[in-house]
Amino acid sequence: MTETASKTPPRTPNKKLQKLLEVPVLMGALGLIGVVLIWAATFHLAGDVVRNASRNAASAATDAADTYEAQVVRALREIDQTLKLVRYDVQRHPPNVAINALNERNLLPPSLLFSVAVLSPRGEILATHGRFGLEHPEEHDFFQRARRTDQLTLSQPVETPEGPFLYFARGMTENQTSEVIVLAVHAGYFVSGYDRATLGEQGVLGITGEDDHFRVRRTGEEISVGAPLGIVATAVPENDEQSFAPLIEHPRDQIERYTVVRALFDFPVSVVVGLSRAEQLAPARATAHEYYWRAGLASALLILTIGILGRLSWRLQKARRQTMEERVQHAQKVEYLAFHDSLTDLPNRAYFSRMLTQSMLEARRYHREFALLFLDLDRFKNINDSLGHDAGDELLQEIARRLTLSIRESDIVARLGGDEFVVLLPEITNPEQVVPVAEKILAACARPFTLVGQEFRVTVSIGITLFPQDGDDEQTLMKNADMAMYHAKEMGKNNFQFFSESLSNDSLERLTLESSLRHALERDEFRLYYQPKRNMKSGEITGVEALLRWKHPELGLILPMQFIPMAEENGLIVPIGRWVFRTACQQSVDWQAQGMPPISMAINLSARQFIDEHLLDDIKLALEETGMNPSLLELEITESMVMRDVDATLAILNELKAMGVRVAIDDFGTGYSSLSTLKQFPVDTIKIDASFIRDLTRSLEDRGLTEAIIAVGRNLSLNVIAEGVETSEQYEFLQGQACDEFQGFYGNEALPAEEFRHLVATGSLKAPRAGDH
Amino acid sequence: MPQTFVKIIIIGLLSGLGSVTWADVVVVVSEKSPIQALTSTQLTDIYLGRLTRLPEAGSVVPVDQVEQSNTHHDFYQQYLGRTPAQIRAHWSRLIFTGRGQPPKAVESDAAMAEALRRNPSAIGYMDSETLPEGMRVIDIES
Repeated sequence: MTETASKTPPRTPNKKLQKLLEVPVLMGALGLIGVVLIWAATFHLAGDVVRNASRNAASAATDAADTYEAQVVRALREIDQTLKLVRYDVQRHPPNVAINALNERNLLPPSLLFSVAVLSPRGEILATHGRFGLEHPEEHDFFQRARRTDQLTLSQPVETPEGPFLYFARGMTENQTSEVIVLAVHAGYFVSGYDRATLGEQGVLGITGEDDHFRVRRTGEEISVGAPLGIVATAVPENDEQSFAPLIEHPRDQIERYTVVRALFDFPVSVVVGLSRAEQLAPARATAHEYYWRAGLASALLILTIGILGRLSWRLQKARRQTMEERVQHAQKVEYLAFHDSLTDLPNRAYFSRMLTQSMLEARRYHREFALLFLDLDRFKNINDSLGHDAGDELLQEIARRLTLSIRESDIVARLGGDEFVVLLPEITNPEQVVPVAEKILAACARPFTLVGQEFRVTVSIGITLFPQDGDDEQTLMKNADMAMYHAKEMGKNNFQFFSESLSNDSLERLTLESSLRHALERDEFRLYYQPKRNMKSGEITGVEALLRWKHPELGLILPMQFIPMAEENGLIVPIGRWVFRTACQQSVDWQAQGMPPISMAINLSARQFIDEHLLDDIKLALEETGMNPSLLELEITESMVMRDVDATLAILNELKAMGVRVAIDDFGTGYSSLSTLKQFPVDTIKIDASFIRDLTRSLEDRGLTEAIIAVGRNLSLNVIAEGVETSEQYEFLQGQACDEFQGFYGNEALPAEEFRHLVATGSLKAPRAGDH
Repeated sequence: MPQTFVKIIIIGLLSGLGSVTWADVVVVVSEKSPIQALTSTQLTDIYLGRLTRLPEAGSVVPVDQVEQSNTHHDFYQQYLGRTPAQIRAHWSRLIFTGRGQPPKAVESDAAMAEALRRNPSAIGYMDSETLPEGMRVIDIES
C-alpha cells in the first residue's frame, strides 16, 4: 500500500547530506579560518617588516644623500679654493714660482690625487704640481671654454691609463688672453666615500654635471663615467621634501633603487645616491620568508590536525550515523509492526484510527466528504471452525489481497481484527460513487477461494457511512458503519447497506446488548432459574426445567428470547450452552448432596447448539466433571430442530440415548412433523406447546389438538408434559385428559436454585396454588 | 726534519728572488731620530695615517715619495703589501670624507734625505744604494 511507504519519516537527501557533512564542514571551516588568520597575520607582519625596511631604506638613502652632498660640497669648495689661491698667486708671480711657493707652504692638495697646472692661453703648460698630461683634444676644448668664464668649470671625464680624470678650471677674469688654472683629480675621488655598510654592493653613488651625464658613478667596486642619468632625472620630482627617496628603476642595470638626486646650490653639479631595493630589503625579505615558512608550517600542522580530527570525528559520526540508522530502522520496523496487521500486512486498527482522524481533519478543513466501508465476512466462523485457523488465516490474507486490488491507490484498506475489514474512500462527493466500489468488493470476495485443496465461496456484508453526515467523530462513524453492516447481514448478507438514522434507532439497543453479551460469560452475569415440573395427579415435583436468565448490570433481568437469537447469530450460544450444561448438572448433583430426592433436570437446546459438532462432547464433559446421573438429564429440543435433518437428528438422538440421556420434544404441535417420522426418534417426552394450553378453555380446536397430542403421546408410550399451565381450568382439563406432568405458573414459576431448594425443603411438594386460581 | 730544511731552503730562495726583482728599498730616519726599530704593523699604520705617536719615540711623521717613482711602488709593495692604486684609494677615501691627509710627498731620494734631516721625527724610505750621510736604516720586524 502506498500508505505504508509514506509512513517512513521523510528524510530529504539535502538534510541527509547536511547531516553527513556537519562536523567535517565545521572542522574544515575552523581550519580554513585558522589558516586564513595565520596567513593574514603573516602577510600583515611580513608586509610590515618589508614596509619598515622600505621606509628605512628610503630614509637611509636620504641620510646617505645628506652626507654625500656635504662631502661633495666640501670637496668642491676645497678644489675651488685651491684654484682661486693659485690664480691669486699666479697673478703676482710667474706660474712656476707661484706653484713651488704654494707647494713649499703645503697649500696645494696632495699630489697623490690632485694635480694642479697653469696653462697658457694657447693651452701650453706653464707650471704644474703633480702629474699633468694633455693628450686629448677634448681637454683643449675644455680649457678654452674655461678660460672664457669666471665660473668654476667642470670637464667631462677624461679616460687615462690611470683611470678617468676630472678637470676643474678657472680662468683669469681680468684678461681674455690670460692663463687658466686647472686642477685634475681622479674621478674615483668623488665616489671614494662609497661605504658598503650603507650602500651595499648594488648602491649608486655619483655626481652629474649640468648635462645630466654622470661625471662619475660607482656601484660596489665598479666605477664608471659618462653615462647619462637618463630616466632617473626625469622620474625624480622636484625635491621639496627632504626625506623623499622614490623607488626608481635605473635604466643602466635595471635595478630598482631608492634614489636621491640633489642639485647643489653652489656648483653646477648634482649628487646621486641610490640604495638597491633588492639589496636593502633582502634581510626584511629573508625575515618575511621566514614568516612565510613558519606560516606554511603552522598551516600544514593545523590542516594536519584538523584533518586527523576531522577524520576521527567523521568516523565517529559515521559510526553514530550507522547506529542512528539502525535505531531508526528498528524504530521504523517496530512502528510498522505496531501499525500493521502481521497477518495481512494491512494497517491495523490503531493505524487506521490515526488515518481516519487525519482524513476527518482534512475533510473538515477542505469541506470534503469521504466514505467508510465496514466489511465483515459472512460465516467466517464456520470456515475457521471447520477448516482450522491456518485456512482461516489464508482466507483473510486472500481477502486482504482482493480488497487491495479492488480499490484505488489513494483509498485505504485496514484490518480491524478478526474478519473485520474497513475501507476508507477519501474525497467522495456523491454517495452514488461508493456503490460501484462496494459492488466491486462484493464481486471480488464472491469469487471462489481455494483453501486446503477445496473450493469455497465466501461473501461479505458491507456497511457504509459517510463523513460528515453519518457521524462527526471516529466512534460514531465506526459504530454507525458497524450498524449498517449488521443491517446488511440482516438483509440476507452478501450485500451493502448505507447507514440511516432509523437503522441507528433500531440497532442501538441490539448493539448495546450484543456488546455486553460478549462479556456476560466472563463477568458471570448468567443465572439459571428452575421451573418445577409436577406430576399431574399427585402434584409432586418430578423435575425442573433449567431456564437461562441474564442478569444485566444496567438492564436488569433479561429473558432468553431477547438475547438467544443474538447469541445464536454470533456463535456465543455454544460457550453459553456449555456453561448451562455445566451449571445445571452441578446443581443437580449439589441438590442431591443436600438431601433432595433425585429429580430430572431439563435443559433446552437451541438450533445452533443442536448442529454443533461438539455438542455431545460438551454434554459428556459436563456429566463426567460433575458426576451427574445421565438418566436425570433431559434435553429439550424443538420440533422444528428435529425435522430439519432427520438423519443427523436420528444419529444425535441415538448417541444421547446411548449415553443414557433423556430427550424431550419441546413446543410439540407447532411443527409439521409426521407422526411416522416422530416414531423413528428415540424420544422420551413430548411437551405440549403453551399456545395450545393458553386457549384451551376458549378454543375448541386447541382443546381437540391437545387431546390428540396427549393421545398420540400415550400411544407412543411417551411422557406428556403440558407447558404454560396458568389457571385451574387448564389444570383440571389436562388432569381429565390423563396428561402426565405439567409446568407453569399454576404450579410454580421459575425460581433461583436456593429458593427452589427451600420450596422442596418446606415440603410443599403439592401444588401450593392449586386452589388459588 | 728533512722537510723543514727543504722549506727553509725554498723560502730562502724565494726571498732571494724577491730581492732580485725589486730594487732594495729601506726605511730610513735621521741619525737624530729616537726611533730604533719598528714592527711591520707599526710601519703600515704610520703610512696609512693610523699611527702618529710611538710609545718610546713620541710623535712620528711619515714622508712619502711621489706616486710616479719606482721607490714609491716598491716601498708599498714590499713593506705594506699594497699596490699604489690601493694606497691612492685609501687616501682618496680619507681625504674625501675629511678624516685625514696623506703624507707629504717628495720627488727624490735626495729630497727625502733633506726632509728627514730637517725633521728628526720624520720617517721615510729610499733606495738603499743612494743612502746618503746622516741617515739611519730602520729594521722592520715582520
